[in-house]
Amino acid sequence: MNRIITILLCIAVPRISLAQASVKGTVLDDFGYPLQGVQIHIKGQKTGPVSASDGSFGIAAGAGAVLVFEHSGFNTTEIRAGSAGPLLVRMPARYLRQTAAPDPGARASGDTIYVAYNAVQPINVLYGKAHQQSFLGSISTIGAGELGGTPASSYTYALPGRLAGLDVRQTSGFYTPLTNSLISVDIFVGNIPNNTSGAGPTDNTEFNIRLRGHNASLGQSPIAIVDGVQREFYSLDPESIESVSVLKDPLSTILLGQNSARGALIVTTRQPVAGPPRVEFTAETGVQSAIKIPSPLPAHQYAYLLNEALLNDGKAPAYTAADFAAYRDHTDPIGHPDVNWYKTILRDNARLNRYNLNVTGGGSTARYVVGLNYMDQQGLFVSSGANPYNTNAELKRYVVNSKIDIDVNKDFNVGLQIFGRLQDGNQPGATTSAILQNLMTTPDNAYPVYNPDKSFGGNNNYTQNLMAQTVGSGYMADHVRDVMANLDLNYKFDKWVKGWWGKAKGNVSVQEATNQDRSKQAPVFSQSVAASGDTSYHRYGSTVNQKNDFTNTSWARYRFVQLSTGYDRQFGPHSVSGMVMFDQKNALLNYDIPSALTNYGARASYNYDERYFAEGGLTCSGYDRFAPGHQYGLFYAGGIGWNMAKESWLSSQSRWLDQLKLRVTYGRTGNANVDNYGYFVWRQHFSGVAGTYPIGSNYPNGGGLAEQGNPGSQVLANVNATWERADKLDAGIDVSVLHHRLQLTADYYHERYFDVMQTRGRSIALIGSGYPVENIGIDLYEGAELTLTWQDHAGDLNYFVTANGSLQKSRVIFMDEQYQQYPWNVHTGHPVGQRYGLIADGLFQSGEDAAAAPTIAGYTPHAGDIKYKDLNHDGMIDQFDVAPIGKERPSIYYGLTAGVSYKGIELTVLFQGAANREQYVANSYTDAGFQGQNNGYSQAYLQATGRWIPEAAASAIYPRLTAGGNGYNYAPLFQSSSFFLRNGNYIRIKNVDLGYNLPYTWIRKLKLRGIRVFANAQNLFTHAAYKGIDPEVNFPSYPMQKVINTGVTVKL
Amino acid sequence: MLCGIFSSCQKSYESVPLGQQVTLDLAFDPRDSLGKQAMSYLLTTYQQALYSGHNRIGGAYLDAASDDAISSASGIPSVQALATGAYSAAQTNADDMWTRNYTAIRNATVFIVYILRVPMLEKLPDGRPARSAYRSEARWLRAWLYWQLVKRYGGVPLLGDDIRQITDDVQLPRNSFGDCVNYIVSECDDIRDSLRTAAMVNSSSYGRITRGAAMALKSEVLLYAASPLFNGGNIDPSNPLTGYGSHDANRWKLAADAAKAVIDLNEYQLMPKFNDVFTTQASPVGSNTEIICWFQNGSNNSVENANAPVGFSSVGGNGATSPTQNLVEAFPTDSGLAITDPNAHYNPDQPYDHRDPRLDLTVFHNGSLWLNRAVQTYAGGADKPGGSVQQTKTSYYMRKFMGSFESVSANPPTYSATYHDWAYFRLAGVLLNYAEAANEFSGPAADVYNVLYDLRKRAGILSADNTYGVPQGMSQDDMRNFIRKERRLEMAFEEQRYWDIRRWKIAAQVYNSAPLRGLDLQQSSSGQLFYNPTPVLTTVFKDPQMYLYPIPYSEAIKNGQMKQNPQW
Repeated sequence: MNRIITILLCIAVPRISLAQASVKGTVLDDFGYPLQGVQIHIKGQKTGPVSASDGSFGIAAGAGAVLVFEHSGFNTTEIRAGSAGPLLVRMPARYLRQTAAPDPGARASGDTIYVAYNAVQPINVLYGKAHQQSFLGSISTIGAGELGGTPASSYTYALPGRLAGLDVRQTSGFYTPLTNSLISVDIFVGNIPNNTSGAGPTDNTEFNIRLRGHNASLGQSPIAIVDGVQREFYSLDPESIESVSVLKDPLSTILLGQNSARGALIVTTRQPVAGPPRVEFTAETGVQSAIKIPSPLPAHQYAYLLNEALLNDGKAPAYTAADFAAYRDHTDPIGHPDVNWYKTILRDNARLNRYNLNVTGGGSTARYVVGLNYMDQQGLFVSSGANPYNTNAELKRYVVNSKIDIDVNKDFNVGLQIFGRLQDGNQPGATTSAILQNLMTTPDNAYPVYNPDKSFGGNNNYTQNLMAQTVGSGYMADHVRDVMANLDLNYKFDKWVKGWWGKAKGNVSVQEATNQDRSKQAPVFSQSVAASGDTSYHRYGSTVNQKNDFTNTSWARYRFVQLSTGYDRQFGPHSVSGMVMFDQKNALLNYDIPSALTNYGARASYNYDERYFAEGGLTCSGYDRFAPGHQYGLFYAGGIGWNMAKESWLSSQSRWLDQLKLRVTYGRTGNANVDNYGYFVWRQHFSGVAGTYPIGSNYPNGGGLAEQGNPGSQVLANVNATWERADKLDAGIDVSVLHHRLQLTADYYHERYFDVMQTRGRSIALIGSGYPVENIGIDLYEGAELTLTWQDHAGDLNYFVTANGSLQKSRVIFMDEQYQQYPWNVHTGHPVGQRYGLIADGLFQSGEDAAAAPTIAGYTPHAGDIKYKDLNHDGMIDQFDVAPIGKERPSIYYGLTAGVSYKGIELTVLFQGAANREQYVANSYTDAGFQGQNNGYSQAYLQATGRWIPEAAASAIYPRLTAGGNGYNYAPLFQSSSFFLRNGNYIRIKNVDLGYNLPYTWIRKLKLRGIRVFANAQNLFTHAAYKGIDPEVNFPSYPMQKVINTGVTVKL
Repeated sequence: MLCGIFSSCQKSYESVPLGQQVTLDLAFDPRDSLGKQAMSYLLTTYQQALYSGHNRIGGAYLDAASDDAISSASGIPSVQALATGAYSAAQTNADDMWTRNYTAIRNATVFIVYILRVPMLEKLPDGRPARSAYRSEARWLRAWLYWQLVKRYGGVPLLGDDIRQITDDVQLPRNSFGDCVNYIVSECDDIRDSLRTAAMVNSSSYGRITRGAAMALKSEVLLYAASPLFNGGNIDPSNPLTGYGSHDANRWKLAADAAKAVIDLNEYQLMPKFNDVFTTQASPVGSNTEIICWFQNGSNNSVENANAPVGFSSVGGNGATSPTQNLVEAFPTDSGLAITDPNAHYNPDQPYDHRDPRLDLTVFHNGSLWLNRAVQTYAGGADKPGGSVQQTKTSYYMRKFMGSFESVSANPPTYSATYHDWAYFRLAGVLLNYAEAANEFSGPAADVYNVLYDLRKRAGILSADNTYGVPQGMSQDDMRNFIRKERRLEMAFEEQRYWDIRRWKIAAQVYNSAPLRGLDLQQSSSGQLFYNPTPVLTTVFKDPQMYLYPIPYSEAIKNGQMKQNPQW
């Protein structure tokens, strides 16, 4: 991999001409350190000198001539040659990570040669680095520029819209801590671990990351590899990451063996940079505000509409005209409360503070980087000064990440990384999720916040007060501690065999998560005023004194060992390399016995003159959570490539063509998905169950014993469980033209997943136990991705546009589906995850229509109810009328980033969106309202005003109101209904980043190396086809947030 | 070679996790003379097989799906779906037990098969081996589970003692109704003598299945098998899954004999006070001599909390069940005469005065005494306040099964913990089984009358001439109707009426003749009460389809041999 740089350096001995120098100066990088290899010429001329290792240059230029400074890693800068003094030219780094190395032959101009010194960083791939020219796989990469401008708690926030093929959807606006114990008590063996996931705990509780359509819920999301080691680390500050790449094709992930089907997310934290110390400190503070919360009905409207719903149901109304008046006029705030709970317990905005300190440097024998990071993210709940402790949701994080890279001698390199993370979370004692759920369901007129005597309001139906839950329920503090150590040993055996090398990598990481429950519960009081005028209070709910429980929620130890040796050699135009490796990942989760994933891999590649490429890899991979004898499988992949631009018949014709590479990879990959579906699923066993039948006259509540899991969730042992497999094809093209100003990458993929874990269709209940998932399904995933980048400058104005789009579709080929009576009942052949339900045909506009129509057994429809299509014309709406609903077009997701840079001012904007998408909008609380709850009725929302009424029959967007749930209009036959499908297309201004680098002449006076002030924003604006809810995150999930952030970076 | 380097690290761990090394040999340990694990397995089997009928169907009693009551809940409670026919094969009703029961059947069979490996030494008080008693308990549970299926679906697949695994084919056909009855009855006969007798039960075995339970189950199964729905009147006479192909009067004799056998055990006697039947532990641990088989529901206030009137703020109370006017009117006067009888001197303006004392112990009506005050179920009264709170829809609340909390000393009044064991079988029911079967087989003989006298005497009905208002010289048909009415009152809310109207094949008439009624009870400013019966629920019964539940649709399509019930 390093070969390319080596070649370039060989050619790139700068031959600097100082003969007629009349303008002298020094070129500096964005850190104020000398920059070597910058090509300088006078505007309009083609030749010029190249800056030396101390950054100095000299060029013959008359006064007023415009000097152009060019470097592939930095924005092109133009300076008018001044009259006096040597010039100091500081070049800002490019925003986009440059992956295309300039062709050394292509830009020979005059007596200078373009120098590739450090110009193009190699891309980080699985277990190493690669160069874009020779890489045959499918990869998308983003660098520090894209990551750094994202004001968020984790780098995952920077991914949506930036990586082709990776669909990153947010599901919650705040992280969700673990609160449950990691062990349970078993009658046989005492404490046993609660653990079914072989991957271990993940800190991603906010995003669904889908690569090429593979859903995390199917256990098929990409494997996260942080600094060469599989760890589920997503919660890292975007500022501290150097690059994120996603590997999508079979060949580039084949060394993952039994996980190779899943693709890989390669995360690389900041790497050491040789040279004098570079100290960079960034402080930033942001304001977060929820972007979409539901609009509850005010109490009088709620009362009125509830009456309407009750009357629709033929029940007596609950409120009188006097009640409406009292609610509307707020004349009786205790007896007739009208509380907008959203405004009462949520604050308008919350702070997000982040501080990053990064120090790097080193010499020829050792290099180092130390990163320190602190983050404090506040939640959206109000708090009370009466508490000495914090009750609001909060996430604080401290990270130390240091890397040392030592060249012991010219053959032996040692790398050591120590990573530590402390994460302290907090939430109200009642828990964030419970409060949000209650917030969604509690009507405005349920109870007053406070009674006149300052006690919390409440009543028999509402024994917990939302305000009490928010500020008076104590707190829960969770703590996560991570320590990770990486040791890398690299040795070159050139002394014995030229080109032979060996590597060893060892990693140990430990995670411990705990939860401290200091929650309590306050009673609520209902005030009643007797006829005599006496006020009395009645207490409801219980007083729970503050607990002091401590729970170990997760404990994990990972060990990763990798040994590899290989051979890299160039023979004239022939370049060969090969390697064999062994690795083993041990995960010991929750004091359980460790799982071991073992790989024996090999790969070999050959290329001729960087023109013809061939590469192959195979891995024998075993996972010990399968039955003995069923543990090891063979996975393999191969690829070929052809860079047509190297062909003389083409390159001689077109100087503008830099790269035209065709590449194809194909492989058989695997996914050891068994942990997603159970724990040692092949073992027939008995387990203890709590709370069994109380034989005995005092009804003792002892433990019992059951076969294959807890009663109700028993499944048979699956003795034949094995890995899922996927045959994957990826064909792509990389084009780079006009001196890399325009770059295009396009990929087509065809992935046939088979042995997919599914429950068999013939899962007959007579057997008396559930059937486990078995290796049954066959699914086809197909799609295409396109990334297009244009970057150029007009004078001193540098600009770029990069856009990516992905097209994705899937189809179920086989799912062991049982006989279906009608063709529309069949699921096979439709997309994976297709929604099925009844097809709605508008609303009944009259009682006669409703009476005449086919209906669901036992339900009498009325005007204003949904009319369903009776597909089989049997006069009944039943299971035979269930069909696929919604469109089956391929889904599209895309992003576009555009940026300009001019005289220190930098502005970038990211648009991100999705198309051909549908949302199912039938939340029974927010859309239907008036659900049966606590012997009363739940909250209703603005949506209820769009219900069908005779007077506004034509404009109705919801069916008529009913109270206490309705099995006909909502969830008919426990299915979906096409009535509630909405267009899910959206586009967001996901990120805007505006920065200003203070002129170097000023900061020099301050003895600093750089100051950048910036403001950026996340989720600034959303345009969604359906306005009712956010297209990604919906209540009662923690809402998605808009973040406006400002900060300053100081370089020392 | 590489493997060798690292394999040493793995030696310190087990190859399978500890928590799951509990294999068959540990659960049913061939060396465990105490049978400790096997016994806890049996408890799980009990837990899976049995259920409490209290508020079982979505918070309501199953009888809230008959003509005796409706649910007070808002929306469309699942129990109401049963009464209005809002279910189908794909949309199973809340009482569907298919999957649940087959799971429990498997677990019972595991015990029945493997307990034989455990060399238990325990003996019953009479010296018999306890292991056969435990095994018979599991067999009873399995028979009971089959019976619950047969009652709902007709003939179902009988699996025998096979425990099937993932590699086995389970596409099994249904057995005929007759086969299922024979199987259950033969199981009851087989196990009766190895079970404990009621007298052998002590405080640690309280709640176990006894000999009486086996005999009472047999009595119920044979009574149903002889009843019109299955005995010649089945909904598809050509289909042996739905019942016997033809009528056979001798089935009534079998039923009568089975009931007589329980009575002749002389282990069970009627309790002197009606309400104590439901709030007292069984003899010999407690004093309840009437209860034969029950679910261990503990000592608590669960029934009161869920069903008591809503206006008692010191104790809560959610009034989940609203008994109908239909049920209230079915109770006779305290002289045993129907309220329509001109000699009964029933006063419609004081409708609850001088009634069968069981009325006050079965429902709360306006004016009932509870926790030291009169229940107010008139519109706007404390127990029917209006607004959106759950409350009675009929002006009645269910009273049965609750402790005697009419007057309590605590202030504010509260409940004390009360035994709420749920009776599956009690002697009164077996007596009614006997009376019904004997009347059907041989007409209204003296011992049929005696059953009615005994029950009405215990109920507290006054009688000068020891006939307790039972008309003398009834024809067989009159007697049939009289027994059915008595059964409705005596067994109200005990999951009898819902099934009785089906097996008598009168469900279509009961559900479809008129809407169920409640009372629109208004109080004038002067305190006068106006009793206006008002329709509260229109019930629907698709005749004859709904006499049997549909086999769940998914089961019908997954299993090539599965036959759906008629018309579903």
